[in-house]
Amino acid sequence: MNDIGEFTLLLALATALYGCIAYVMSARGNRIDLYLSADKTPFIVWVCVTISSICLWKAFLTDDFSLQYVWAYSNRELDTFYKVSSFWGGQKGSLLFWTLLLSTYMLVVYFQNRNKNLRVVPYAMAVMLVIVVFFLFLINFSTNPFERIPLPPEDGRGLNPLLQNYWMVIHPPTLYLGYVGFTVPFAFAVAALISKDLDDGWIRMTRKWTLISWFFLCMGNLFGASWAYVELGWGGYWAWDPVENAAFMPLLIATAFLHSVMIQEKKDMMKVWNMSLILLTFAMTIFGTFITRSGLIQSVHTFDEATLGYYFLAFLFVIITACATLIIARLPLLKSTNELDSFFSRESSFLFNNLLLLGIAFATFWGTIFPIISEAVRDVKITVGPPFYNQVNVPIGLALLALIGIGPVIAWRRATLSNLKKNFLKPVLASLIAAIVLFPFIPLGNRAEIYTYVTFVLCAFVVTSIFTEFYKGTVSRMGLHEESVAGALTAMTWRNKRRYGGYIVHIGVVLIFAGIAGSQAYGTHTEKHLQLGESFEIRGYTIKYEKLVAIEATSIKTRIIAQLAVERDGNRYWTGHPEKEFYKGQNQPVSEVDVLSTWKEDLYMILADFREDESATIKVYVNPMVSWMWTGGWIIAFGTMISMWPDRLEQRRRLDRIRKQEQLFPSPAQE
Amino acid sequence: MKQKKVRFLVGSLLIVGAIAYLITMGISNTSQYFFTVDELMSQKTSYAGTGMKVKGNVVNGSIQRDASDYLNVNFSIEENDASLKVAYQGVTPDMFIDGGEVVVEGTLGKDGIFHANTLLTSCPSKYEAEKEAGKMHPGKFPNADEYKKPGLNEAEVLPKTNDLTSL
Repeated sequence: MNDIGEFTLLLALATALYGCIAYVMSARGNRIDLYLSADKTPFIVWVCVTISSICLWKAFLTDDFSLQYVWAYSNRELDTFYKVSSFWGGQKGSLLFWTLLLSTYMLVVYFQNRNKNLRVVPYAMAVMLVIVVFFLFLINFSTNPFERIPLPPEDGRGLNPLLQNYWMVIHPPTLYLGYVGFTVPFAFAVAALISKDLDDGWIRMTRKWTLISWFFLCMGNLFGASWAYVELGWGGYWAWDPVENAAFMPLLIATAFLHSVMIQEKKDMMKVWNMSLILLTFAMTIFGTFITRSGLIQSVHTFDEATLGYYFLAFLFVIITACATLIIARLPLLKSTNELDSFFSRESSFLFNNLLLLGIAFATFWGTIFPIISEAVRDVKITVGPPFYNQVNVPIGLALLALIGIGPVIAWRRATLSNLKKNFLKPVLASLIAAIVLFPFIPLGNRAEIYTYVTFVLCAFVVTSIFTEFYKGTVSRMGLHEESVAGALTAMTWRNKRRYGGYIVHIGVVLIFAGIAGSQAYGTHTEKHLQLGESFEIRGYTIKYEKLVAIEATSIKTRIIAQLAVERDGNRYWTGHPEKEFYKGQNQPVSEVDVLSTWKEDLYMILADFREDESATIKVYVNPMVSWMWTGGWIIAFGTMISMWPDRLEQRRRLDRIRKQEQLFPSPAQE
Repeated sequence: MKQKKVRFLVGSLLIVGAIAYLITMGISNTSQYFFTVDELMSQKTSYAGTGMKVKGNVVNGSIQRDASDYLNVNFSIEENDASLKVAYQGVTPDMFIDGGEVVVEGTLGKDGIFHANTLLTSCPSKYEAEKEAGKMHPGKFPNADEYKKPGLNEAEVLPKTNDLTSL
């Protein structure tokens, strides 16, 4: 079985290599025979990689510790659930998993575009195959998951307890689905550059791919935040750690791309910009992998300081040079005929939104690599931490938040004064009201609190502006079709999925902004060493330490659980059970926090320590509005679903447009 | 037409300039030196009183907790034969153990003791195990018994029960 896995990996590499050469030659030389043969490779590569992955999964499920990788990440007593997810628990397996996802995506693209657009698609397939070749090369020759141990040990070392959490099963695949997904729009962009088919065809062909990848990346980031929140037990959800930044930067650039392609579709502008953005997005996914694999940057995560990272760096260098050269060579063809009309227009709000998103991405990037730069330039390692990111990114983020509100209500092309007055009256009024109403309730003692106040006011502005849009559309539809409010609202959303789906996503984003602002500024925490029966107060809660129990949960896990009674106004309100788990085979315990989550605030408890006399150290956080972020995430998911839903109307509108254009400018073939 | 382009250019430059300003200010206000213990010890200039981060491994057996105040911890960290005494007040992370790699953030006092505000342990990421595996492989394979003894001795003193309903 392991031999098969190893062999199919080699076979996949050989096929993929052949495939990209054959695709390119068939497209250049117009050779249909080569094309037909090349067109078989995506399927063969997928079959090989899938077989190989099945072999690795089988090794995990059958406790085959003759594989070094299985030995390092599993043991006999591990839950089947986690045996399956141990597949991507380590470096070797995660690279294979990446390749599996990439070749699956490639297969879907292949079926979607079979025998379509023979000028662009072969190049796109070739680009994807090149990337597959890179990963397969690493897997085959640098980090082979099928590496054997000559004398197989009795039992494996087991999966790190911190990874034995259901997030481990959800979070990495989600993030990978996002990371890997951007390969598709990237491949089509490069193919468009090579084949000189530089209209918005590549954008339309990959619009869904971009959205899906963006969605997974966004969810991956949020899942990562919740994982950190419930599992790492430090009371926070985001630490601006290099590894988090590595996932955050592509999300920002992809968001910029997602917005600016709309301008290209509508106005045929910003072509060079869009090409650069998708190149940058893809480069960031590789850069992220480089950061997490190289150990070059000090992070709270430790990494294998292997040479593997440098392969990624080299690959990154090749990609950027090649694509930059291509873009420069095609510059004359990428010239746009249109220009931005006015400073105050929806088009320019898109431009500014792009600048701000890239600004956050750049600040994050700069902070992440600053230790390396300072060491190279001044020979001293200088690091920046969360204060840096907060100081820089919060103001930019607030400007961005304001733009979310301005975007939907400002006119296309040129906003006149009367237009501004009419559209902005309600949102501005709403934010003024919010500012006045909130003022007496909100402390404004320090910078964080002032920022939070501003955030809330801006949230009111954005929400009103979005709801006004929904309201206007619904009312005008009710007038035309005599429908009920709900009926008109649904029909309107359904007939303009992209637009209203996007607005719904924005509402989710507003909730996330509000949640971050609330939890960052008004949170509090305390830690106490308590004897049984002792109690303390935090934010109106009285917390009493009642009991400490040890439970042998399974043969490999012992749980130490503290019981804490939470009282409010003299009544028992909740009972918290934070615990510490000890796993056999692991030398450190894992804290399991207990959280009482309400829309107002989270009461977050950690059993930090306990002693033989049953005294314990308890740490309690009160984190306001954290649940708003998770709700925002679900709303984003809902909105993305709507805007991704196949839209026949959209297709018909497009066909109509094309037909009209063809009547105006009949092509020679039709004459 | 020309004028419009200039306006956009100026507008964009203003935004870019503002972001650049924020970044430079951010760096100069919040940056910290980052040393390993041996690097810090070999510095010629004294860094007493400046905020910094120091990385090292916890010296075996050096962790001492104040008997009256459990949250008061003293320990030493070392790297390449250089060592540094650290005083820390607060809850220590799960992975704060003898020999573990830590990063402390705080100031170096004149007395040579490092006063840490934060104590970070390396997250046992997925990739760490690989590193260890690399060290052992292929010469020595782990003795299974070494991995069968978790630090459970403390827990055994407590009343044991098998169901949660009694809580």
